[in-house]
Amino acid sequence: MRRPLIGLTAYAQQVQYGGNDLMAGMLPMSYVRAVHATGGRAVLITPDDPGVDVLDSLDGIVFTGGGDIDARHWGARLHPAADVDEVRDRSELMLMHAALERDLPILGVCRGMQLMAVAGGGSLHQHLPDVIGHDRHRAAPGTDPLSADASAYGRHEVVVQTASRAHALLGAHLTVNSFHHQAVDDPGTFTVSGWCPEDRVAEILEDPRRVFALGVQWHPERTGDLRVFEALASAAARRSDLTRPALAA
Amino acid sequence: MMRPLIGITTYVEPASWGVWHRLPTTLVPHAYVEAVTLAGGRAVLLPPDDADTDVLRRMDGLVLGGGADVDPARYGASPQPLTDTRPQRDAAELPLARAALATDLPVLGVCRGMQVLAVAAGGRLEQHLPDVVGHDKHRPAPGVYGSQQAVFESGSRIAELMGADREINCYHHQGVADAGALSVTGWAADGVVEALEDPGRPFVLGVQWHPEVSRDRRLFGALVSAASA
Repeated sequence: MRRPLIGLTAYAQQVQYGGNDLMAGMLPMSYVRAVHATGGRAVLITPDDPGVDVLDSLDGIVFTGGGDIDARHWGARLHPAADVDEVRDRSELMLMHAALERDLPILGVCRGMQLMAVAGGGSLHQHLPDVIGHDRHRAAPGTDPLSADASAYGRHEVVVQTASRAHALLGAHLTVNSFHHQAVDDPGTFTVSGWCPEDRVAEILEDPRRVFALGVQWHPERTGDLRVFEALASAAARRSDLTRPALAA
Repeated sequence: MMRPLIGITTYVEPASWGVWHRLPTTLVPHAYVEAVTLAGGRAVLLPPDDADTDVLRRMDGLVLGGGADVDPARYGASPQPLTDTRPQRDAAELPLARAALATDLPVLGVCRGMQVLAVAAGGRLEQHLPDVVGHDKHRPAPGVYGSQQAVFESGSRIAELMGADREINCYHHQGVADAGALSVTGWAADGVVEALEDPGRPFVLGVQWHPEVSRDRRLFGALVSAASA
């Protein structure tokens, strides 16, 4: 019995660790742990290489959090507060289009959910405080707003659309963490199925016509609530026929 | 056109970038990724996981990357004062190395990766080379590679790949004392083991130096070719 192989989009980023300061292919371990804790096997997909052939080897894919998406991908001008990651944009938009075309199970987290909207022909708000007048979806710079002991930062409620896939998975409402300054404006071919009730910021995207395509604006990998990762692993196992055959009655 | 998929094992270290400070991070120097890409492979990174080795069923080749020391308990020794281990990596990479050897999956071990191959094959390591060879030319200073002239076994794979080139760049303080079931096919002038192979398998190569730094097409190209076969 093989576990479903779940690709995680990763950074190519200058990082400091130990005494080193170098360009690394890398991702926070929280994503890896979330995949392994829910029955998948994580591999990281580095963005330097814009081919999509790697998707043939995967059973599911997570588009992870990170920097901003360049507004030119939906035909707008770049906002001064945007901090784009062009290398990831180029490679991840190709991967997203190809994953949608193959109907590969997809989970989008934060930037990953925004990427779903952009790939689906939608658009983003480039700087939320301009739209909703407050910065509560993002904590103060220099802090780690998602760490377990920083519960005061950015937490808010999400209400979930009745009869949506997200509702079946997450129920009518939940409390989430939050660290973003951009947000989905037009979800394109996707459906918004969850909102922050205070400001109507889109928190969940889905496409019920697909095997599994779910985006969340928060960071479930930094919490104990891994239901969306479980759902991805299950969908990936089903699609690749990795589920244990039922015993004959 | 599907390129051969090459898994690269990773470090797990507290890392800092942007607003993030010392976040537990899975990472590998990007030079490894570029070396695989330039050689025609598709790199994916394999964060440590000790549950099983089933990920190798989807890989065409494996790179065991560099990093900290292997836990001496893995070869029946007690740790010495300067030994710096990452048990989480050992628990993931030793099974991967054994599975790669058992299934004839093409594998390239780099630095720690060569040492992992030796331990997986039943060998053992010297825990601090300066105690054995009396100098620190294999790791001259923090962040400085030592340049060495190697000698390769005539007729070996590494001799064929390196041709007339003898220069290698090292950065390590441990070394292979016993290569177990593998054959030693390269040495530094002081006798330190620099290359390991298994001539009985399609492609098993370990090098103590860092071919990824120069994106060495000879070594990574040979891995990708073997992975395409």
